[in-house]
Amino acid sequence: MCRNIFSITVLLLFILYLHGCAVVNHARLQYGQFPIQSEDKIGKNRFSVLKEDDVLGRLAVIRLKKGDTLPDVARHFGLGIKEISAANPDVDVWVPDGGRRIILPLSFTLPDAPRRGIVINLAAMRLFQFRGKGNSVSLTVWTYPVGIGSEERPTPLGETCVRRKIRRPTWHVPASIADDHRKKGDPLPDKVPPGPLNPLGEYALYLDKPGYLIHGTNKPASIGLKATNGCMRLYPENVKKLYENTPVKTPVFIVNQPYLIGRRGGVLYLEVHPALENSNAGELEKTFARLRKIEKRWNREIDWRKVEKAVAEARGIPVPVLELREGSMKEAAELVEIKHPGKFHGEPEVPELNMDAWYVLAAKEREEVDALRTAAMINHQGPPIPARVLPSGGGYRVLAGPFKNVSEAENAARRLKVDLGIDGVLIEPAGNE
Amino acid sequence: MRKVYWIMAMLLAAGITLTGCATTGDLEKVQQREEQINAKADQALQKAEDANAAAAKAAEAAARAEQAARAAEEKAAKAEEEKAAMAEKAAKDEERAKKADVVFEKSMRK
Repeated sequence: MCRNIFSITVLLLFILYLHGCAVVNHARLQYGQFPIQSEDKIGKNRFSVLKEDDVLGRLAVIRLKKGDTLPDVARHFGLGIKEISAANPDVDVWVPDGGRRIILPLSFTLPDAPRRGIVINLAAMRLFQFRGKGNSVSLTVWTYPVGIGSEERPTPLGETCVRRKIRRPTWHVPASIADDHRKKGDPLPDKVPPGPLNPLGEYALYLDKPGYLIHGTNKPASIGLKATNGCMRLYPENVKKLYENTPVKTPVFIVNQPYLIGRRGGVLYLEVHPALENSNAGELEKTFARLRKIEKRWNREIDWRKVEKAVAEARGIPVPVLELREGSMKEAAELVEIKHPGKFHGEPEVPELNMDAWYVLAAKEREEVDALRTAAMINHQGPPIPARVLPSGGGYRVLAGPFKNVSEAENAARRLKVDLGIDGVLIEPAGNE
Repeated sequence: MRKVYWIMAMLLAAGITLTGCATTGDLEKVQQREEQINAKADQALQKAEDANAAAAKAAEAAARAEQAARAAEEKAAKAEEEKAAMAEKAAKDEERAKKADVVFEKSMRK
């Protein structure tokens, strides 16, 4: 009997201990004190890295305000949607709690690929561009989040190069996409000229693989999603930089590496991303084998508990798993806090209500959170459709608009139907009654 | 003979007097005992009353405790129900959020 009570007590204490760990981590993120760093001092896209190092940047935190969305935070800090949502798995993408702190995963592990030209890791949905002379001790790395091919039309792996570059490209609609749109009742023209309706955006780098491009977008909220037909999309501000920095014939290596092992400053890191559908199942075993080999070579013990946690969570953050030099681990775990900028770059704007304008009633929801989510998703369409939430009779209405005239309102209603499956109702200007 | 009668009368009177004296003492004793018994009875009565009052109080306390226990049980059951409802709501909210994310991802295609 006594033995049983003892065993139960030990088990309870163990459970409490584990629970305590989780609470401390969460509590530390929400209530801990971190050194404040100004936004311009933290690297977003450009990093200088020693040639023997593989990990760039550092993790940061930011306290959200009511009305923020993760896609806006992501774009402002040069991150993709999946990157920021994987790093903060318990945070609502569209309606996060105001006042809550979230992690900005601004630390990246370089893929196991040549360090020249452009390297794109599909699993991380991230592009790296290497610049610097072969004989110097450090490299300049530019990195940007990308949108990649969908499950049905994945981005092809392998080595290629930039064949040509075009500013303000015309989009020649491929037959497969034209067919998709025809089926949806939204036929496309044969070609789309430069402008807000062009999905290639303002800049395009045509690869040597016919039909595949690295280009901008008119849907910035798609960066970090698997939403292309095999091309790689960048934020408009990022593709401009890439376009300017990339000469024709630059080599491009497209890899798919969900498990990344890297070193920096005497610490070994493991970064895990959710594996893509077409990933090789043996990758994880290979990663474990590599880690065991490193453990043996350095004659130091890897924190396998951390390794297992990193694999299970796949948060896309470099996790320190082995201290190669005494005292380096503490340094590796340090976070900095960035002050909220007030307004995020590219954040959609919603004009004030106008009694002379047309509107589209997009949804009626009982819960405010559902209405806010729908409005945010409409606001982040490309080109954007302004939308807001209005409380009404115990529920909430999502109103898209204002639109100057009936044809603009009808066009928005059509887009809502085709893209989001929303049956909108046109609302005439108040003065028309 | 007259003398005999007189002596006998005297003896009888003395006997009666003596007997009378004994009865008064006894009466006093009886009275005393009665008083004692009455006092004891009063005490016993008081005790009994006290006991009854305590029993009533205890019964009342027991009833109150039972009521409180029942209320606590009901509260716990309600809390459990609320917790389950909240978990269900959270699961539904998450499901709706996930569905919305899928719709949004599709809307981001060319």
